Amino acid sequence: MAGLDGAAIQSVVATGYGRNRVPFAATTITEITCHARGVHHLDPAARSIVEIGGQDSKAIRLDEHGRVRDFAMNDRCAAGTGRFLEMLASRLALDWSGLDELSQRSQRPAVMSNTCVVFAETEIIGLLAEGVAAADIAAGVQHSVATRVVAMAGRALDPPVVFTGGVALQPGMVRALEGVLGCPVRVPADPQFTGALGAAILAGGMA
Amino acid sequence: MRETPRQICLEEWDQRQATLARQGGGEPSYGGPLGRHVEREGNGRLRQLRFDNSTAALRLWNFLLTENQRLRAARAQGERLVGAMKDLGTVPVMAYALPRVRAFYPDGAWWTPCLMECTDRLLNQAEALGADATTCPVRAMLAAFQNGEHFPRPDLLVCSAGAICDDFSAIAQRLERLGSAVLWWEMPRRREPETGEASCALPGGLRAPADQVECVRDELRRVAIALGRLVATELTAERLRDGIQSANAVRRELQALRETVYAAAGAPLPALEMLIAEMLAVHFCSDRDESRVVLGGLVQEATRRVAARQSVVDETGIRVYWVNPVADLRAMNLLETCGGQLCGSDFMFTHALDLIPEDLPPLEALARTALADPMVGPVQDRARRIVQECRRYRVEAVVVSRIPGASHCAWEGAYLREHLAAELGVPAVEIEVPPVCDALLPALRTRLQAVLEIAQSRRRA
Repeated sequence: MAGLDGAAIQSVVATGYGRNRVPFAATTITEITCHARGVHHLDPAARSIVEIGGQDSKAIRLDEHGRVRDFAMNDRCAAGTGRFLEMLASRLALDWSGLDELSQRSQRPAVMSNTCVVFAETEIIGLLAEGVAAADIAAGVQHSVATRVVAMAGRALDPPVVFTGGVALQPGMVRALEGVLGCPVRVPADPQFTGALGAAILAGGMA
Repeated sequence: MRETPRQICLEEWDQRQATLARQGGGEPSYGGPLGRHVEREGNGRLRQLRFDNSTAALRLWNFLLTENQRLRAARAQGERLVGAMKDLGTVPVMAYALPRVRAFYPDGAWWTPCLMECTDRLLNQAEALGADATTCPVRAMLAAFQNGEHFPRPDLLVCSAGAICDDFSAIAQRLERLGSAVLWWEMPRRREPETGEASCALPGGLRAPADQVECVRDELRRVAIALGRLVATELTAERLRDGIQSANAVRRELQALRETVYAAAGAPLPALEMLIAEMLAVHFCSDRDESRVVLGGLVQEATRRVAARQSVVDETGIRVYWVNPVADLRAMNLLETCGGQLCGSDFMFTHALDLIPEDLPPLEALARTALADPMVGPVQDRARRIVQECRRYRVEAVVVSRIPGASHCAWEGAYLREHLAAELGVPAVEIEVPPVCDALLPALRTRLQAVLEIAQSRRRA
């Protein structure tokens, strides 16, 4: 993918849920540490990271050296993850970017009462049947994901907050997160690769 | 047959055991290959575990896994069986003070769904009996009583009530409604004595109002009378005193084991074996004297390994304190897998690790010990003890494990995690471990590895 010659690679760090299935990796490091390292490289002032991917979501607090102070994870429920948005996109027959474009046309985001994706799907069908605009449902789901992640974080996240993971590619999600947090959120370039960048930097330190 | 300490799988243990047997390794009567517990009792989980490779650990596992056979043999020989429920370490001390009485811990059935990988269907049966997945996995006990396929039905069933786990209380009451007579004894919620109020010192550096101690002592007196009637032998103060001394002998072995392992630079024994060893303090695995021998063997092995500077993990492993037992034993193996070593533990029954006072009237001593139960007092007391142990054993990270559905620790875990992290300045993580955690292993591993990585980065800093 990066177009690198194998001989140019001096060290390999595997990260993410599949990290233990990479036999050629020199070591494994969790995505928590890797995201922290990647974000610190891109934005040394960052003190908090919200990472939302398709599998889970995380809130990571950093110290002034970019080291992880603490973290919280939602790895048991799809409600605070990109999976919720994928489900909604599928239900509305939209793709990922189409869902976000739709949410930006919302006038009055719908209130989602369910925190479970399975039940929320039923709720979405009910809202559509009642004539609620799909744009408002999309924005409501984005708000629900943001609320869920901030609640998981437990305490107020110290600013500056950096938003990473594939879900950070949705501007609507960025706005939803800013709304719930009550502060601006920074999104690095290619936020879905921040963990990989951190892994590469950590591998570089080992080479 | 001594090898470098390491964790081995079931198949390797069985090969080693066969060699041991050929060499005349001197195993106890309940010894033999661990694999037989898979074939005969269906404990398939053993295939997924990594075991310590010492013969002392083999003995520990065989002792644990033959408990139901031991109970049935005792019943066949005319011994009376006492089920001591929700009592982590008091009634068994009393029961073993009488001749031909054997106490056991029916609550221990909560590990059966793990060991049998849910093929026992105990959790499903418990749900059909009215205890669903919103309650603690100890509900497996309810079904085990009904189907009689695990432990024999006890001659006397004793259960503490009051300041105990709400789930367990509900499950035990359901058991009674289903026809099992229960002798209940009241355990008040321990509180700090008020200024000027008469109070008593409890083991573990705690204090309680004298009224509370008196209440528990009177309750235990009722239990003592019921136990005595069971074998038509009065449970005299003299017998109780002897029983306390014998129980303390077991506890001394466990204290020695904890000190040897947790104070060591490396990990002389793995976390999993330490959890199982500590459980012996609760009910002696249905054989008090053999418990002492089993623990003594582990102390010897750990002492030998410390002297030889041997460890089951790299000596640079992160020193971890573990709070609460896990419903799936496999989760304990993750600690070493992720580069940690167990250097302290509170598996919910630290009062059963403390010596019972021998200079007090025996019922008074037992009442004070029972009131020191970490589960019947404020969580702050529990946290204080954990902080002391963490400092003593130079702990670098804390793992707080939760049991799904167990209401007594739903909020306690969050408090402990935050308090310990703040007080000790070490990273702490909370995990939830269901009876079979296979599907959650990647997530559990990420949490554990991440907290060890944080500790590692602080060590470097």
